[in-house]
Amino acid sequence: MTPPADAALQPQWQRLSPRMLLVHPVHEVLQQIPLLIGAVVLGSATGNQGWTIAAIVLTVGVGLARWFTTGYRIEPDEVQLRTGLLQRKVLSVPRNRIRSVSTDARLLHRLLGLTVLRISTGQEAKGDTEFALDAVEAQQVPRLRAILLADTVPVAEAPAGRELARWQPSWLRYSPLSFTGLAMIAAAVGVIYQAGVGAALGNSDLAQSGIAAAERLGVLVSVVVGVLAVLVASVVLSVLRSLLTYGNLVLRRDSDVLHLQHGLLRLREHTYDMRRMRGGSLREPLLVRAFGGARLDAVMTGVGGEGEASLLLPPCPAATARTVLAELIGNPGVVGTALVGHGPAAARRRWTRALALPALVGAAMLVVAVPVWAWVLWALLVGCAGLLAADRARSLGHLVRDGWLVAGAGSLERRRDHLETAGIIGWTVRQTYFQRRAGVATLIAATAAGEKRYAVMDVPAAQAWSVAAAASPWVADNRWAEDPAGPELR
Amino acid sequence: MKLIDPAQRPSRKAPLVWALSAAVPWAVLCLGQLIWFAIDFRIPWLHAVAALVTVLGAVLFIAVVPMWRYRVHRWDINVASGTPAVYTRTGWLVQERRIAPISRVQTVDTYRGPLDRLFGLTNVTVTTASSAGAVRIVALDDDVAERVVAQLTDIAAIGEQDAT
Repeated sequence: MTPPADAALQPQWQRLSPRMLLVHPVHEVLQQIPLLIGAVVLGSATGNQGWTIAAIVLTVGVGLARWFTTGYRIEPDEVQLRTGLLQRKVLSVPRNRIRSVSTDARLLHRLLGLTVLRISTGQEAKGDTEFALDAVEAQQVPRLRAILLADTVPVAEAPAGRELARWQPSWLRYSPLSFTGLAMIAAAVGVIYQAGVGAALGNSDLAQSGIAAAERLGVLVSVVVGVLAVLVASVVLSVLRSLLTYGNLVLRRDSDVLHLQHGLLRLREHTYDMRRMRGGSLREPLLVRAFGGARLDAVMTGVGGEGEASLLLPPCPAATARTVLAELIGNPGVVGTALVGHGPAAARRRWTRALALPALVGAAMLVVAVPVWAWVLWALLVGCAGLLAADRARSLGHLVRDGWLVAGAGSLERRRDHLETAGIIGWTVRQTYFQRRAGVATLIAATAAGEKRYAVMDVPAAQAWSVAAAASPWVADNRWAEDPAGPELR
Repeated sequence: MKLIDPAQRPSRKAPLVWALSAAVPWAVLCLGQLIWFAIDFRIPWLHAVAALVTVLGAVLFIAVVPMWRYRVHRWDINVASGTPAVYTRTGWLVQERRIAPISRVQTVDTYRGPLDRLFGLTNVTVTTASSAGAVRIVALDDDVAERVVAQLTDIAAIGEQDAT
């Protein structure tokens, strides 16, 4: 392929933005905090603050040196990134393997007008093997992106395309229903105690007056107040985080390129090659589903399936998520249609699993005499388990239609995966001992995209290969295939 | 529609090799228990329970599981008719049948551990672009494995259409 004539294509090493001379030392200092604390302690212990100064100078020096030792080069066939202070390392990525380009600007980067540019290929890349230009000036990004994606995406500089979705303030209503707030509180408490501040807090006036107040109010009231305070804090934190992360989210499609941009403080931008798109997953955690919400994830080669990497839409009205998904996969019929259920055996397995724990607890309670209120709690538990089983049985299903495979499962974390059958490169029929006895099997479609394995849970064993063959005709195109009416039917 | 099971079995030596490789960790555990028995014998019933668990585990994993796996394990390659594909059945308690078209194969690797070498066995791994799609044909006789690898690399237009 002939690369466009551009100054950036001259095969010479280029430095990252000189403004990184400000950022690198700060990052280095932040990373080496334990070392610096050690140096301060050593300095005060020996009465010679020279140690502290030496440590700081060294850290800042290393930070500065990073800029001088990092370079990148865009060649006709590949892009290279050269890094390392003591261990020199060159990372090369063939340009025709570039699947997506994303940018990420944290607060410090944004203040300086910088942004981190990441290149993703079909391979899993983490840590050392990740190709990240940290950082280039924000004005350069569109140009670099166009150059980098020129090989894979023909019209990267297409006129602004159609907007698929834009963040609405009403989407915030789904965010209090997540556990991110609680997780943040737990993390903060952990850090405080790790740093040894906990002991200091315990002796402070604030804590003493708090304990005194709790003694006046009594145990029950103080517990209730405490739980309420944590809940309110968690809701506020969740909403705040959601607002800062997804506020101003815009999902746009320009012919073969999908642009996702979000973040109020930390600005993130992803550019996906639509031809690598193999489908999408709708995720509806129970609490989000209760308010009619859903989250949309992309199933795409070169984009990891878990966490935030594949996120296209955060929890938003389910109708919006479905419309966008239908638009992306160009097949509205697949997104809305009810799934084919998996029959009584699969449903029975949901029930036995959900009720096994309550049954055990009940048996134990029969042996050990327990007060009446414990039985009330047990009845509640049984009720919840029953609802869970019914819901799990209801969401279980699959659909093969027009070159798409759809699999649904789960209740607390309900999901519906839509996978293009052309992207399936292998099938597995998996049966545990209990599945063999129940006459069901889990059918797993292997693909290069997203989570790599998409399971259709507890299909009746006799139908498993038929489903696979309906999705991928090559499954039936060999000498092992056999019609049910065939002579060797067992 | 259903698929009949693949026809080929692993090497006849496979159960023996599997049993031996399972025997090594259990032997170490046994030895550890004997040492414990020799130096400290204050709680006899604990020794008895530990010995029972070890014996049961060893019998299961050295005698039962290798035979069970040998009965389950099958493999086959389809080249003559239709879409060339590789098809295996593996496992014992959890059993898997896996099929992958050879056109999507990325690499064909062989692995021979120390015990495999001693008994002339080879494990063949056929990888595709999906980490969930690798097909493993374990415990083949060396000459069979050689043939399989040659056959697979011959048909596979490796790197051409891996669906990434």
